[in-house]
Amino acid sequence: MYFLSGWPRRLLCPLRSAERPFLIEPSSQRFYLCVLSDTQISIWFSRPSVLIVSYIESGKAAEQFGSYQQAEWKPDDTMIAVSASNGYVLLFDIIGALDEKCLYEPVYPKGSARVKVTPGYKEEQCAPALTLEMKRPVDLEAPISCLQSLQEDLLVATADGYLHMLHWDSVSNGRRTVNLCTVPFSLDLQSSRGGPCLDLDGVHIRDMEYCVTLDGFAVVFDDGRIGFITPTANRFSTDQLQGVWAADVSDGTCVAVNNKYRLMAFGCSSGSVLVYMIDSSTGSMQISHKLELSPKHYPDIWNKTGPVKMIRWAPDCSVVMVTWDCGGLSLWSVFGAHLICTLGEDFAYRSDGTKKEPLKICSMSWGVEGYHLWVISSSEAAGSPDGEQLKQAGILQFQFIKSALTVNPCTSNQEQVLLHGEDRLYLTCGDPTQGHSGGDKTSQRDGGSPLHRPAAPACLSQGLSTLLGHKHWQVVQIHSTYLESNWPIRFAAIDWSGQCVTVAGRRGFAHYSLYSRKWKLFGNVTQEQNMTVTGGLAWWKDFIVVACYNYIDQQEELRLYSKSSNLDNAFASVTKLHTDTLLLNVFRNVVIVFRADCSIGLYSIERRQDSVNPSACVELLQEVSMSRYIPHPGLVVSVTLTSVRTDTGITLKAPQQVCSSESILLNLAGQLIMLQRDRSGPQARDKDAPANQAKLPPFCPPVVLAQCVENVWTTCRNNRKKRHLTEALWLSCGEAGMKVWLPLFPRDHRKPHSFLSRRIMLPFHINIYPLTVLFEDALILGASNETMLFDGAHGSSASESLESLFPFCTVERTSQIYLHHILRQLLVRNLGEQALMLAQSCASLPYFPHVLELMVHVVLEEEATSREPIPDPLLPTVAKFVTEFPLFLQTIVHCARKTEYALWNYLFAAVGNPKDLFEECLMVQDLDTAASYLIILQNMEVPAVSRQHATLLFNTALEQGKWDLCRHMIRFLKAIGSGESETPPSTPTTQEPSSTGGFEFFRNRSISLSQSADSITGGKFNLQKTFSMPSGPSCKGGDRWCKDSDSAENLYIDVMLWRHARRLLEQVRLRDLGCFSAQLGFELIGWLCRERTRVACIDDFVTALKCLHKDFLWPFPVLPACSINSPLKNGRFRPVLSSRLLKSQSADSLLNSDMDTTPPQVSTANHTWLDGLGAVRKELDSASSHGAPQTQEAFLSPLINKGEECSIGSATDLTETSSMVDGDWTMVDENFSTLSLSQSELEHISMELANKGPHKSQVQLRYLMHVFMEAGCLEWCVVIGLILRDVSVIKQVVGFLDSPEVPEETVQSIRAGLMAVDQWASSDCLGYKPFLNLIRPQLMKLMEVPVEQVQPEAFHPTGASKLSDPPLLLLPRAEDPRCPPASSLPLEGPPGVNARPLEDTREEPEEEEALEEGTYDCTLS
Amino acid sequence: MIEVVASMARGPVFLAGEVLECLITFTNPMSHLSTSASSEVLAWASAQIHCQFHASDSRVALPAQGTKQDVQAESDTVLIPSRGERGQCVLDTPPKILFCDLRLDPGESKTYSYSEVVPTDGPPSFRGQAVKYVYKLTIGCQRVNSPIKLLRVPFRVLVLHGMPEPPFPQDEEVAPSNPFLEEEEGSRRDTRPLERALDMLMITTSRRCPYMFNITNMRGKVAKFCIFKTVYRLGEDIIGTFNFSEGDIPCLQYSVSLQSEEEVNDQYQRRPCQPVSVTGHGRHLESCLHTASSHFSLPIPLNVTPGFTTDIVSLRWRLHFEFITAREPVEAPVVLQNQSEVTVWTGAENVDVDTFSWDLPIKVLPTNPTLASYVSQFTGTNSITI
Repeated sequence: MYFLSGWPRRLLCPLRSAERPFLIEPSSQRFYLCVLSDTQISIWFSRPSVLIVSYIESGKAAEQFGSYQQAEWKPDDTMIAVSASNGYVLLFDIIGALDEKCLYEPVYPKGSARVKVTPGYKEEQCAPALTLEMKRPVDLEAPISCLQSLQEDLLVATADGYLHMLHWDSVSNGRRTVNLCTVPFSLDLQSSRGGPCLDLDGVHIRDMEYCVTLDGFAVVFDDGRIGFITPTANRFSTDQLQGVWAADVSDGTCVAVNNKYRLMAFGCSSGSVLVYMIDSSTGSMQISHKLELSPKHYPDIWNKTGPVKMIRWAPDCSVVMVTWDCGGLSLWSVFGAHLICTLGEDFAYRSDGTKKEPLKICSMSWGVEGYHLWVISSSEAAGSPDGEQLKQAGILQFQFIKSALTVNPCTSNQEQVLLHGEDRLYLTCGDPTQGHSGGDKTSQRDGGSPLHRPAAPACLSQGLSTLLGHKHWQVVQIHSTYLESNWPIRFAAIDWSGQCVTVAGRRGFAHYSLYSRKWKLFGNVTQEQNMTVTGGLAWWKDFIVVACYNYIDQQEELRLYSKSSNLDNAFASVTKLHTDTLLLNVFRNVVIVFRADCSIGLYSIERRQDSVNPSACVELLQEVSMSRYIPHPGLVVSVTLTSVRTDTGITLKAPQQVCSSESILLNLAGQLIMLQRDRSGPQARDKDAPANQAKLPPFCPPVVLAQCVENVWTTCRNNRKKRHLTEALWLSCGEAGMKVWLPLFPRDHRKPHSFLSRRIMLPFHINIYPLTVLFEDALILGASNETMLFDGAHGSSASESLESLFPFCTVERTSQIYLHHILRQLLVRNLGEQALMLAQSCASLPYFPHVLELMVHVVLEEEATSREPIPDPLLPTVAKFVTEFPLFLQTIVHCARKTEYALWNYLFAAVGNPKDLFEECLMVQDLDTAASYLIILQNMEVPAVSRQHATLLFNTALEQGKWDLCRHMIRFLKAIGSGESETPPSTPTTQEPSSTGGFEFFRNRSISLSQSADSITGGKFNLQKTFSMPSGPSCKGGDRWCKDSDSAENLYIDVMLWRHARRLLEQVRLRDLGCFSAQLGFELIGWLCRERTRVACIDDFVTALKCLHKDFLWPFPVLPACSINSPLKNGRFRPVLSSRLLKSQSADSLLNSDMDTTPPQVSTANHTWLDGLGAVRKELDSASSHGAPQTQEAFLSPLINKGEECSIGSATDLTETSSMVDGDWTMVDENFSTLSLSQSELEHISMELANKGPHKSQVQLRYLMHVFMEAGCLEWCVVIGLILRDVSVIKQVVGFLDSPEVPEETVQSIRAGLMAVDQWASSDCLGYKPFLNLIRPQLMKLMEVPVEQVQPEAFHPTGASKLSDPPLLLLPRAEDPRCPPASSLPLEGPPGVNARPLEDTREEPEEEEALEEGTYDCTLS
Repeated sequence: MIEVVASMARGPVFLAGEVLECLITFTNPMSHLSTSASSEVLAWASAQIHCQFHASDSRVALPAQGTKQDVQAESDTVLIPSRGERGQCVLDTPPKILFCDLRLDPGESKTYSYSEVVPTDGPPSFRGQAVKYVYKLTIGCQRVNSPIKLLRVPFRVLVLHGMPEPPFPQDEEVAPSNPFLEEEEGSRRDTRPLERALDMLMITTSRRCPYMFNITNMRGKVAKFCIFKTVYRLGEDIIGTFNFSEGDIPCLQYSVSLQSEEEVNDQYQRRPCQPVSVTGHGRHLESCLHTASSHFSLPIPLNVTPGFTTDIVSLRWRLHFEFITAREPVEAPVVLQNQSEVTVWTGAENVDVDTFSWDLPIKVLPTNPTLASYVSQFTGTNSITI
C-alpha cells in the first residue's frame, strides 16, 4: 500500500521561458519523463531529477503545426509522438550519445579528496545525454483528441470521429483509419453482432487507453458516454471492431486502465470515479466499485470537487491517484479503499484554521516503481502574474513509501509490516510474532539460527501491548553503495522473525540483519551486475530465495543464498528454470513459482547437511499447468501454497492434514482461485514410499473463493488452541473491507451436521488498511498517513515555501481488533457454538474484554436506535453469548456506562435486571463491577433500593479491605441520604465538603499519634476534647457534623463502621483493623476506649498471639541452633558479628541492642573466631552425617517452617531486610577479606533474620501497641509486647495494673493470659521461653495480686518431658526472694521444684550471656 | 546441578535513576521421579550492578594505577563482580544478598526478585573507538566449598543529564504517616523517576523553533537551510529543508550525515593533538541540480549513545553537510519562442565543481527505555548451570 512521505520536492527547470508546461508523460519504463508546453518538449531524467534536453520549435513550424497538446512514448523509449493543435502528429527521435556520455558530471579540482572514493562506484548520479530530432510530421487534417501508443503502432483519435492507426516507423507509414460510426456498439458483446445500435454521428473520442490484458480500449466520448472497444479478431486491426457501452453513464471525463486487475476507471463530471470490469461470460461492462469521497470524512468538499480531471494507476497497479478540477490528490487502493486525500485536514487548513488554496493539478505521472508522483500544477502559473514574463517552471515530486506486499506478496512478508521507500525500509519495531506461541514456532521453523533471540515469556504479553501502543518504526537506510548503482529498489522481503530484510534493485540484491545492523552486499560487483531479480524474493529459514535472470548464461534461475555466508555465487545453490518466473512464494519447505507460461512449479528445498557452508538443495516436485484458466500471465497478483482446504468428503489423518501443502491460492486479477489437491485418487498407498519420492496428488479444477481480493493471508503455523484463527484465510478486499474464510469445527468430535458446510466466508469492516494479520493475536496491523503542520514555523515571507503549502507526512502504525465482528456474524448465522469456541480460544488475549464490550455496544446502539421494530433482534443472543464468559457482568456494566441512559432499558431488558446482576457481582466477589452497577441502579431505581444495595456493597468492601471502594461508598451513601427527599441523587464522584473535612481530621489524628509516642499521653485528652469524640454508640453524631441533615446518614455509616471494627477485633484481625482505620480515617482510639471492656478484651491470649504471628508474617521465635549444640562455647564474638550485620535492625531487638553496647573487639577476635568457625563446620558436618539427635530436630522445626513459606513474597522480604545490612556487609568484606562464611554462620544469620518479622510489620505492631496503650486496652498491649518481645511494654502494663482505674477483670485476664502463654510456650514454642524468663519479675509481680482459683494442672507443661527442658531449667536462675514460696507458681513447671526468682533486673546482662552461651545448666534435675 | 536464570522483565534498557528489576530463578532441573535425584544446596547468592570501563591503549593514556587484585581464592566468599572482565570497574552498587542456604528439591524452583536503582552518577553504556562503558548485573552464587560462580546479565543504561533531583517523597506530609497507609504508595513511587524523565524529554525535544541558515561559500550563496530543532530523542527523525531557488551557485549534490564525535580529554590523550574520532550513523545523499527545494529526514538509530561527558571522554553529535557546487554561478538561460530556427538545449556534460562541508552540532537525548529495548542487542536474560 502507498503512503505519502515528507514534503514534496520541488524541481525547477533551469530554463526561463514564457510558456508554462501543462503535461507530463512518462516513458514506458518511467526512467524518462516528457514535459510539454506550447512549443517546447523537455525530457527529464528520473534520478537524478534533472532536465536532459529541451526542444523549442521554431516560430515558423509552430505556426504551421499549432501548439503541442499531447505526447506519447514509443514503448522502447526511442521515439515520442506529439500531437499539435492543427491536426499534426509530430514524431521525434530520441538520440542517445553513442559513447553513453553522461550529463552534469562533476569535475573536481586537482588534488581534491573527492577523487579517491571507492573505485568502481560513482557516488554522483548522472543523467544520460540525449537529444531530440523531429521526423516527418503526419497531417491528420482534424484536431487530435487523443493519442495512444501500442507496441508497433500509434493510435490517434481525431475530432471528426475517426481512429487512425499509425506506424511508429514513419517510413512504412501505411495508415489505417476507421470511422467510429461503423463500430457496432451494444450493452454486451453477444448481442452486438446486429450492427451499430447507438447514434455515434458527430461524436468523437475524448480520452482512451489501451488495456493489454483486456485487449481493447476503454474510451470516453465527448458526449460523456463511456465504453470499451475491442477487436473481434485476435490481432487488433481497425477493420473488425466492436464495442460495449456502460449503461446510464453520460458524464465521463477521462479514463485510466489497470492492466493487472483488468479494470477501467472512468472519471465523471460528478467527481466520482466509476471502476468497471468486463464480465467474462457476456462481455458486458460491469461496475466493480466507485471511488467517491465520503460526506462523513470530507463534509465540505465531497460534492464540490468538480469533474474528475485525471486518473493515474501506479506502476504496480495496486493504487490509483485521482485529481479533480478543483485540485487535490486522492489515493485509493485497487478495489477502492481510500488512503489519502489532500482536500481535507492539514492539507486544506493552516494551523490557524484558515483555508489553503488547494493544489490544482494540470498533469501528473507516477515515477519509477511508484516512489514518486510528478505533478505539474496549474495554480502556480495562475497565481503569479508578476511582471517577469520569463519564469522557471516548477514540477512537484511527491514521495511515497509502499508496502512490500504490493510487489512481492510472499508469505514471509506477511507476518511483519514492511514498507519501503526510495532509499529506506520501515519495519515494525520489536517483534510481534514472538508475542504468541514463541517456543513452538521457533522450534518448528528453525533451529539453526543463532540469532533467534530467546523470548522471555514474562515480557511477551507486556511487550505486545506496548508494541501496539507505540507508533514507532524502525527505519533502515538502504546501503548507499548498493542503492546508487541499483536504484530503484524493486522488491523487499523480511524473514519470519523480523530480524532480516533483503532488497533487490535493478541488479543483484543485498540483505541486512537487524541484529548486527549490517548490510551484506555481493563481494564481487560483477556477480551483482550479472543477475537481476525477476520473480521476487523470499526468505526460507536462513536462506534467501530469489528468482532471477542470469545475464551471462541468458538463463532464468532459482537461487538460494545463505545469509550467514558471504554473498557470493560460490555459496549459492542454483537451479535452472526454463521459463521466466513472475511470482515466487515459500510454504514450509516448498517453493512455489508462477511462470510466464502460466504454469506453476513446486520445488522442495532441503538444507544440505554435508557441506561446510550452509547450503540447500532444490528439487522439482510438481508442475501444474494453469494456461486453461489464466488468460494472461500478467493478471496473476499472487500465488500462495497453503494447508487450507475445503471439505472434500475425504477425511485425512491429522498429521497429513496439518503439514502438507494442500491447496494453491491464486489471486487472478482480484479473483481468488483455489486449487485443492485431488485426494480422491488411489494415492493413499503411496504413503509407504519415502515422503519426497511419493508422487504428489494432482490438483482439482479451480474454485473461485472471492472477488476483489487485494491481499491474502494464511499461515503455515498451526495452533491447536486457536484453530479457527490460524486455519482461516484472511482477505483484504479494498472498499469492501476484509473477509475471513473461517473453518467450522464440529464440537467435541460430534458428527457434524449435514447442513453445516465446513467453512464460511464472513465479511467485516475495519477502519484501517490491513498490512498484516496477527493470527493468534486476533489483530490486524496496518499503517496510516499522519500529518504535521510546520507552517506556523515560518514568517509570512516564506508563505510560498513547501512547508507552508503542505503538511509534513509521516506514516504511523495502527492496529485493530476484529473479533467482535466475526463473533457477531457467527451469531447472526446461528453459529453460536462456533462463536463460543472461537471466543474461548481467544479469551486470554488482553483485549478480549474489550472485544465483548464492543460487540454488545455495537448491537445495542444499532437495535435500540432503530426506527423500525426489529423482527429478530440480536441483542438477546449476544447477551446470552456473553454470559458464557466470566467477564459477563463487567462487560454489560461497562457497556451500559458508555451508552446513553436512554438505551439502558433496552439493554437490561435483554441481559437481565441490574439488581440481579449486582447481586451476582457480590456473589462472585467482584466489587468494583458491583459498584458500577450501583450507578446504574441509582439511576434506574428508587433511592431506597440503591441505598440498600449500597449498604450491602459497603459491608462487603469493608470485609475485603477494598478501601478505595469503601471511601467511595461512604460518599455515595451520604449523597443518597442528603438528597433523598427533594434533589435528584448527585453523582457519587463529587465529594461533599463536610465529609471531606471529617476524613481529613481523622487522618491528621492518626498522623499526630504516630509522630511521637511520648506526646501521646499529653495529646490524648486534648484531642478528644477538641474533636469531641463520641464516647459511646449512644452518642449522637449530630454535634460532630455541622449539618443536621447529614446526621442520620453519618450515624448510619458510623454504626456500620463500628460493627465492622468490632468484627475485626473479635476475629483478632489486627492488621486489617489497622488498615481499616488508617484507610477510612476511622477513629480507633476513641472507639477502643468505648470497647475497652467489651470487644477489646482478649479471651484467649494464646490464640491471639498465634493470630498476630500469622497476620503480621511474624515468625515464631527460635532458639539459635548454635546455642544448643554449642560448639562456640566461648563464641562471644559471634554476636558481635551478627550485631554488626544486623545493625540496622537491631534497634528494637532486645537481644541485639544489648549486645550493641559491647565493644567490637574485632581485631583481637580474628583468630578465635576463625577457629571457632572451623570447629562449627566440622561439628556440623559430622552431625549431619550421623543424623541429628531428636532434640535438635524439634528446635529446628520453626526454621524449616519458615523455609517452606518462602514464596516469592517472603523471599522479597528477606531480600529487603538483607539489603539493610549491605553497608556492613561490604565492611566485613574489607576487614575480613580472607575470611569466609561457613554454613553455620550463614545459618545463624538466617536464623536471626528468621526470628524477626518484616520491618513493616514491626512498625505496624508498635503503632498498634501505642494505640491500645492510649485506649487503655492493656490486654492487647501485653500480647503485642509479647510478640515484639519488648520487656518495657510488659513492665509498663504491669505497672498500670496497679492503678485503681484498671478493672479487676482486666488484671485477672492478663494474669490468666500470661500463664496460658507460658504454658503454651513450654509445650509448643520454646522460642518464647527466654523472653518469658526475662519478664519473670513482672509476672511475679503480677502474681502478687490475689489470684482466684487457678487449676494448677492446667499449667503443667505437657511437652516438657519430651525436651531437655532448658526453659524450665532457667527458672532457678531467675530467683526472686520477694516471691512468696507458698504461692503455687504455675510457671515453675514440675511441682515441687523450688523456684528461685530473679533477684534484680540488673542481672539481665548476665542472663543474656547465659542465654548466648547456651549454658542451660541442668542443675536442678 | 542448579540452573540459574536471570531475566529482566522490562527489557534490557534502563534510564539511570530507574529501578532495575530482575527475577532470578534457581531450579533443580532433576525430575523428582528420577532415580539419581537429590536435593541441591546453594550457600548464598548475591547480586550487584557494576559498570566496566575499558579504554583503547592506542588512544587513551590512563594514569598509572596499582594493579588491582582480582584473583579470587577458591574458598572465598568475597564477591568481586568484575572478576575476569576486561578493564576496570568504575562503578558498582552495594551487593544484595538474595538468600543464604537455599535447598532445592528435585524439580523445585525458586525465584527471587532483585531490584536496585541504576546509579545516576555513572556514564551511559557506550561502545566507542577510545572507550567502552559496559553495564552488567552480576549474580554470584556459591555452593559450600566450591568456587563462586558468576552469572552476568549485560544491560544498557541511558543517562539523561540534568534530571531534577527527586523531591522528597510526599513532601506534603513531613510527618511519618500511619504505617498502615504506606503500602500502595511505595509501589507508586518506583515509576516516578521514569515518568519525570520522560516528561522532561518530551518537553525538551518537542519544542520546535526553526533555525535558518544561509549556506554560502566564497563564490556566493548556495542555499537556505532550515532545521526545526536541534535537540532530539533517540529514534526520532531529524528533518531539515533546503531551498536552492534563491542561491546564486548551482548545487549539484548535497549530503547530510549524522555523526558522533568522540573526543578524549586533553590530559588523557595518548598522542598530542589526537584527532577526534568520528562515527557516521546515517547519511542522506541527494542530487539537487535542478531542484528548488527539498528536504531530508535522517532517523537517529535507537541503539546509539546520546551525548555525554565523563572525565576521560566526551561524545557529541553533529550533522555533517557536504555540498558539491558549481564553480561558476549560472544564470538560468532564457528560452525564447518564435525563433527562426529550432533550438535544442542540452545540459552541460561536465561541470567544474567545488566541494565544501559544514558541521552543525545537535543534541541527542535518550528516549523511553522500553522503546530502546526492542532493538537492543541484549536480551535481558541470561543463564548458567552450576
